[in-house]
Amino acid sequence: MSEVSGTLESKLTRLVETVDIANTLTDPLTNSIENLMRVTASELNSEEASVLIRDGDDGDLRFLSAIGRVAEHLLDLKVPAGKGIAGFVFSSGQPMVVADAGGEETFYAEVDKRTGYSTQTILATPLRYNGEIIGVLEYVNRIGDPPYAPFSPEEMDKAALFADAVASLVAAYESAKLLRELGRKASGDDGGFEFQEVRDWLASVRAAPEHVEMLDLAVLIREVAARGDAERQMCREIIGAILKYSERGSERSFLSF
Amino acid sequence: MSSVTGYESNPFGSVTTYFQIDDSWRSRTGRGISVAIIDSGIDVDHPELAGKVKESVIARADSKRVVFEPTDTGDSAGHGTACAGIISRIASDAELYSIKVLGAGGLGDGQSFLAGLEYAIKKRYRIINLSLGTTKPQFFSPLHDLLDRAYQAGCIVVAAANNLPQPSFPSVFSSSLISVSKSVETDPFHFGFKYGEIIELTAPGVNVRTAWPGGAYKSLTGNSFACPHIVAVIALILETNPALTPFQVKSALYALAAENEAEARHAEEGSR
Repeated sequence: MSEVSGTLESKLTRLVETVDIANTLTDPLTNSIENLMRVTASELNSEEASVLIRDGDDGDLRFLSAIGRVAEHLLDLKVPAGKGIAGFVFSSGQPMVVADAGGEETFYAEVDKRTGYSTQTILATPLRYNGEIIGVLEYVNRIGDPPYAPFSPEEMDKAALFADAVASLVAAYESAKLLRELGRKASGDDGGFEFQEVRDWLASVRAAPEHVEMLDLAVLIREVAARGDAERQMCREIIGAILKYSERGSERSFLSF
Repeated sequence: MSSVTGYESNPFGSVTTYFQIDDSWRSRTGRGISVAIIDSGIDVDHPELAGKVKESVIARADSKRVVFEPTDTGDSAGHGTACAGIISRIASDAELYSIKVLGAGGLGDGQSFLAGLEYAIKKRYRIINLSLGTTKPQFFSPLHDLLDRAYQAGCIVVAAANNLPQPSFPSVFSSSLISVSKSVETDPFHFGFKYGEIIELTAPGVNVRTAWPGGAYKSLTGNSFACPHIVAVIALILETNPALTPFQVKSALYALAAENEAEARHAEEGSR
């Protein structure tokens, strides 16, 4: 392979590596979002929670994750721009509590009809990341039997704090997803490249033992990072020390030539 | 004027001294006062709002500008209708003007929001209800300019504070507008004024029952719903004193809130 194509190959190899690491991150992120919703919903004495994220550039939303009795009916359901409580919260950036949410105008209405579930009280708060609104976090109904007490102003404040944590995960998920989509295009799943030769090459990169090892390492780091601040700090220091040692080693070997 | 005492520390003195406002404003209806609601539109067919919405316009992108044109698209989110319902319940004869900037489609939220405010100022609506805001720093300066223009034009802008622990514009501009956050109070005339704080007014904003699209009613919580309470009170005051400037209105609200506070203190002392 010529020098130019060699550079291209190394760039593509790096891209594939990045994409595959992103793939290993996406699923755990959605799991983390779900876990966080479970914990925070319980804190708010709520029964159902969901995360809606932007879908395209026109202000539409779609459900990314949901917990509760009707969760499976909500996933991938879309909410048109500015529609209903979630649409307003997304476009205005203002949280809102609705004590008697039932009725045709809520996006849950269709799901309610299909499942017999009854949406009665909603707390919706925006997900902000880096000053941008990237979605909406909702809590629906209370634990136990109706009638449900409306969410209080104090619970609105709590939900805003929970939304910050969820927003960080959603932002990470979106970045990882973007990389995953790039990877799909590059590997031809979406018709990006149609050459068998390129696909074979990608397959060989992915099958290479060093690539598999790198993914294992990424998973290990993710697991350490999930254990807490102290573990993250220690991990950072150890990796930093390895890098320094490795750099010094390179310098020595360079000087010896 | 009520016989309440205990507001001697009020630097503005009593409302009567400065503005000759007696208690008659409490029984007014906001007749002849124009109120712009910059929001998600209004369901003009709602029984509580029938005949009260004089004009409904919607923002539309036209090349690089934003233009406003008449619309019958109503309110897809419900928020604007809820705000209109609160105003209408307290100031039943106020003239409502709907400026739809949310859910207009094809426009950046901040861009249409600013354009809506500019439109309302150009139209010289007497009171402007802004139950919306933006946290994007790039809108700080243009909003500041617009608020100054509103002040000079005699438009009284009332903005809801951000519900989240983060400043939003324009509610943090303390000089040229009236900013409101929610309280658990239910009586619209029992608003509060916290001089020296960024968000000065407090008004009912917890479980407020109000109109909702489709002829419905809902109980809502948020600073968004405190804002129209103050808007409606201002409409009543302006009906009795149409020439008040934005500064005078704010001072009157301060003095009235001080009376409310003194009254509450008096009642508390009496109950001991």
